[in-house]
Amino acid sequence: MSAVIIPAGLAIAQPMPDVLPPVKPRRGVLGFLRRYPTIAIGGGLLLAMLCIAVFAPFLWTKDPTSLAPALRTREPGAQFWFGSDMLGRDVYSRVLYGARVSLLVGFSVAFLASVIGLTIGLFSGFIRLADSIVMRVMDGMMSIPPILLAIALMALTRGSVQNVILAITIAEIPRVTRLVRGVVLSLREQPYVDAAVASGTGTVMIMWRHILPNTLAPLTVQATYICAAAMITEAILSFIGAGTPPIIPSWGNIMAEGRALWQVKPYIVFFPAVFLSITVLAVNLLGDGLRDAIDPRLAKKL
Amino acid sequence: MWAYIIRRVLATIPVMAFVALFVFSLLYLAPGDPAAVIAGDQATPDDVERIRASLGLDRPYLVRFSEWVFRILQGDLGTSIFTNLPVGHMIAQRIEPTLSLMIVTLCLALSIAIPMGVVAAWKQGTWIDRAVMGFAVLGFSVPVFVVGYLLAYVFALELDWFPVQGYTPFAQGFFPWIENLVLPAVALGGVYIALIARITRATMLEVLQQDYIRTARAKGAGQSSILFLHALKNAAVPIVTVVGIGIALLIGGAVVTESVFAIPGLGRLTVDAILRRDYPVIQGVVLLFSFVYVLVNLGIDLLYTFLDPRIRY
Repeated sequence: MSAVIIPAGLAIAQPMPDVLPPVKPRRGVLGFLRRYPTIAIGGGLLLAMLCIAVFAPFLWTKDPTSLAPALRTREPGAQFWFGSDMLGRDVYSRVLYGARVSLLVGFSVAFLASVIGLTIGLFSGFIRLADSIVMRVMDGMMSIPPILLAIALMALTRGSVQNVILAITIAEIPRVTRLVRGVVLSLREQPYVDAAVASGTGTVMIMWRHILPNTLAPLTVQATYICAAAMITEAILSFIGAGTPPIIPSWGNIMAEGRALWQVKPYIVFFPAVFLSITVLAVNLLGDGLRDAIDPRLAKKL
Repeated sequence: MWAYIIRRVLATIPVMAFVALFVFSLLYLAPGDPAAVIAGDQATPDDVERIRASLGLDRPYLVRFSEWVFRILQGDLGTSIFTNLPVGHMIAQRIEPTLSLMIVTLCLALSIAIPMGVVAAWKQGTWIDRAVMGFAVLGFSVPVFVVGYLLAYVFALELDWFPVQGYTPFAQGFFPWIENLVLPAVALGGVYIALIARITRATMLEVLQQDYIRTARAKGAGQSSILFLHALKNAAVPIVTVVGIGIALLIGGAVVTESVFAIPGLGRLTVDAILRRDYPVIQGVVLLFSFVYVLVNLGIDLLYTFLDPRIRY
């Protein structure tokens, strides 16, 4: 570079001292987590709960179903960290094992409802004849409050974890279908879809390549909310005796068993309640964070 | 407008029909054979068959469905397997506590949630806003029975401000009635308050950016009159929509709240019916709640035409 000739008498502006420190672009996973603290907190809590569920046998637990009638309703202490219930079972072990049921139900329902709702929503948004029928059915299903729908379905079958997952999934499908269909209806008017049609792309290919990827962002956010709702619904079903069978320790079951004694031994209800609330809170925080990260405009829609 | 109202009313018919079909199928698919139960242990297969024919249980699905709908339209919801009482009668006995709980919760939730949302939108970005939004996340996350037990423990057992459990009919005076409903209503209202506060804030944020708000401010309107008169009126439609949709949360939550606080309402009836597999009662309650939910949302849709005269369908 050649030297710049400076006319005589012209003062050269001195470079300004930096008032603000240079903005460092935040990159990588850590930067992302710092930009969206709710994802970090929610994800961290959920990960911790997942570890508790997976490693429950190694976390100084006893057999959650072993009875010790002589040691019933002991206050929390050195022997029973969270106390013992009216059959002498260790509440600490039961609560830790209970995380398995809650997380299994939450994740399974979120996954199944998303996949089924996505499929129905895609076809319903694309095929006009199917749309009017499918949406009438979905409107009908949505007019039954979800918990009542799950209760009614559970009344038909035996209580088991699979049936609980199935019942809650059916109750959640209409909301996913509606969301996906709405996205599909707005996307199919987009010029790039017209272009794909004009260039001879088949309907299935358009759905797969051009529509589906655009539904994934709102669907992921919706799936986290469904996960949270499913965990609460499972606890409610078990609590009123229409959910997971009493042999399996789930947070709803533990609370249902502690219900009769809650005025004198509140800790039996308290510990599963705290774990359930923290887990649902974690999933909701994760969902809020994902919503903000993926598409800030969604903040108002969902 | 009338065309819209008529179209909207007619649109509820297929929805109601689906609900009826679903609820009927519930009893149709329910395990157990009513004819065998009535016939008793001593009956021969022929006897059971005869009873089944006399009850009309051997006829095709759609025939039985149409007859069932006809009976429902005449107000006959069937007979409880367990108590042998008419289901309609059992529901009528239990409706007051549930209705009271819902109304108190609704009043409480609206009078808390809407000012919360409005103030959060006004003070956007401040600690007030963050506190409201934080409360909303908590409200969504802490299940109704957890809040219920916590409130009952603190305010009834420890502080002794309210009765722990139970229900006093309205006929015995307003004060005993409301005293029993405060804690259940707060517990049940948590999610609902979170939902309404959130939508109120989101809608108000949008409305507050409109030109006419600046005009109102320029002509010297006071802050509270801008917020609650100018802005809130125009934010009404989305808020009212969510209030209607949220009724589903109240109905689902009432089932649990009534168990926690030992309120002898429809929720308690549902739980008892499930434990006894009393299908006609489950059927009746699901049918009733769903129809109420559909009708409330129909009413709200019709309200739009008055809230926002620009809406033309």
